[in-house]
Amino acid sequence: MKSVLRQGVLWVFALWTVFPIYWLLNTSLKMPLDVTARPPTFIFAPTFANYTAMLHDPAIIGFFVTTLIVAVGTTIFTVLLSTPAAYVLARFRFRGNTDIGFWILSSRFTPPVAMLIPFFVMFEMTGLLNTYAGLIIAHVAINLSMGVWLMRSFFMGLPKELEEAASLDGASPLKTFLSVILPISRTGIAAIAILTFLFTWNEFLFSLVLGGSLPTVAVGLYKFIGYEQIEWGHLSAAAIIMLLPVLAILLLFQKHLVQGLTMGAVK
Amino acid sequence: MNLLKPHSIWQGERLFILLMLAPAMALLFAFTIAPFAISVWLSFTDYLLSRPPARFIGLSNYIQLFTSAAFWSAFWISVLFTTLTTLVETVIGVAIATLLVGARRTGGFLRTIYMLPLAVTPIAIIFTFRMMFNPGLGIINYLFRLIGLPPQDWLGDSTMAMISLVTVDVWQWTPLTLLIVAGGLAALPTEPLEAARIDGATGWQSFRYVTLPMLMPFVALAVLFRAVDAFKTFDLIYVLTGGGPGTSTTTLNVMAFKQAIEFTELGRGSATAIIVMIIITLASQFFLRRSKLLTVPEVGA
Repeated sequence: MKSVLRQGVLWVFALWTVFPIYWLLNTSLKMPLDVTARPPTFIFAPTFANYTAMLHDPAIIGFFVTTLIVAVGTTIFTVLLSTPAAYVLARFRFRGNTDIGFWILSSRFTPPVAMLIPFFVMFEMTGLLNTYAGLIIAHVAINLSMGVWLMRSFFMGLPKELEEAASLDGASPLKTFLSVILPISRTGIAAIAILTFLFTWNEFLFSLVLGGSLPTVAVGLYKFIGYEQIEWGHLSAAAIIMLLPVLAILLLFQKHLVQGLTMGAVK
Repeated sequence: MNLLKPHSIWQGERLFILLMLAPAMALLFAFTIAPFAISVWLSFTDYLLSRPPARFIGLSNYIQLFTSAAFWSAFWISVLFTTLTTLVETVIGVAIATLLVGARRTGGFLRTIYMLPLAVTPIAIIFTFRMMFNPGLGIINYLFRLIGLPPQDWLGDSTMAMISLVTVDVWQWTPLTLLIVAGGLAALPTEPLEAARIDGATGWQSFRYVTLPMLMPFVALAVLFRAVDAFKTFDLIYVLTGGGPGTSTTTLNVMAFKQAIEFTELGRGSATAIIVMIIITLASQFFLRRSKLLTVPEVGA
């Protein structure tokens, strides 16, 4: 009896969690007449018309291309910058090490708007507004602290014997890092790459203000919400397409996602 | 000559550390420390985007904010939103995480489902909720009528708009609390629970007096994470209600954005953003001291 109740509560919570996504999918498969039908329809003749319309719209394709360029660029630079720094922070004792660690963690407490205003001013002066370079720089800045922090805890988990053996063989720290540490760090690097990609793909505020006329999908969707009020079917299809890579990441890399969201506090 | 070798290794190591750190540190400096300094400086100026040279006006922005009704209204709305979301998310998150421990067979599948809201693009979900909250065509009012409740103006009424925002935030972020608490539960020793069972404690008693006290550091961590993020919430409020109707859901963060970006009063907006940051820093320091959170070995490891 008790376990039936337990299962009941857990499944109700699962239903509550899935329902909005189900409803989005449901709406994306409806003809306009079904979308606005009262009462709302759960069963109807599904159509892919919304998807074909969205995938043939050059503006929508443009949003996706922009988002992809920004997310991939951000991921590459975040990995390249955070990996070496994290290794040194994890393995070497030097003055200021713990200060840097604290500084990185404290970035989680900074409200995005406080960072956004100076970015806006700097980008306005340097002409980086509405450029790929500008958007990538901003997103690297947003994700770098998370990347360094997670990579640092990954390196801390590696056995110290690796470096000891390498140094007995006379390898320099740089050689050790490149030929011993990096090859066995693929899973850690993959984790921060995936997280950076996901967070950049989903990001809205910085993309809106720094790239308003070079819109990512999130910004494009936001602009459509305003004046295309009743084209729910179209927007739902675009939103579902936007969720596809996200769902793939969730299914394949669930554990990494947990670590990224909790800054590694939960393994 | 013998001294040269260790010395050169040491020199090399120092150079290595510097080279490895420099790129990331330079970037962190240029794009977190420097912007922060610019923000602080802007907050002491009357910088308007339309009238460029920024003039130093001392504490005027801060004084004007602290003496304006709009600021205090936004402050209390932020506090209300943060309190409501953190409270509801903590209660549901702890409850579901606890129930999930006993559900061995379906646990893995359910856990994946519960993680969905954390991964999905916020804008896509906010758009979905906007459709569902639509007073005439939305599914929520339809379901309300179906079970005999009066339909609501979810986004058009001040009280309902706050409830709607809390609902979406709870939908999206309860899973994070759930995950942190579930992680804690998995790490707890089983002996105290066994002992309680042998002593004849009921399920509720052993949860209340054995599990919950041991779990507190994890609950505290979840509360800290959620409260900080709730106070910083922007996307959800800006896109779902735009801070309205009127200013009934305008939090400090939304106010800072509107001042700086919509009204191009960069000085005023910076001052508001700096205040948000000071509040978050002070409140989380206070909370960290009170909850002795730093004694959890997992935190910061």
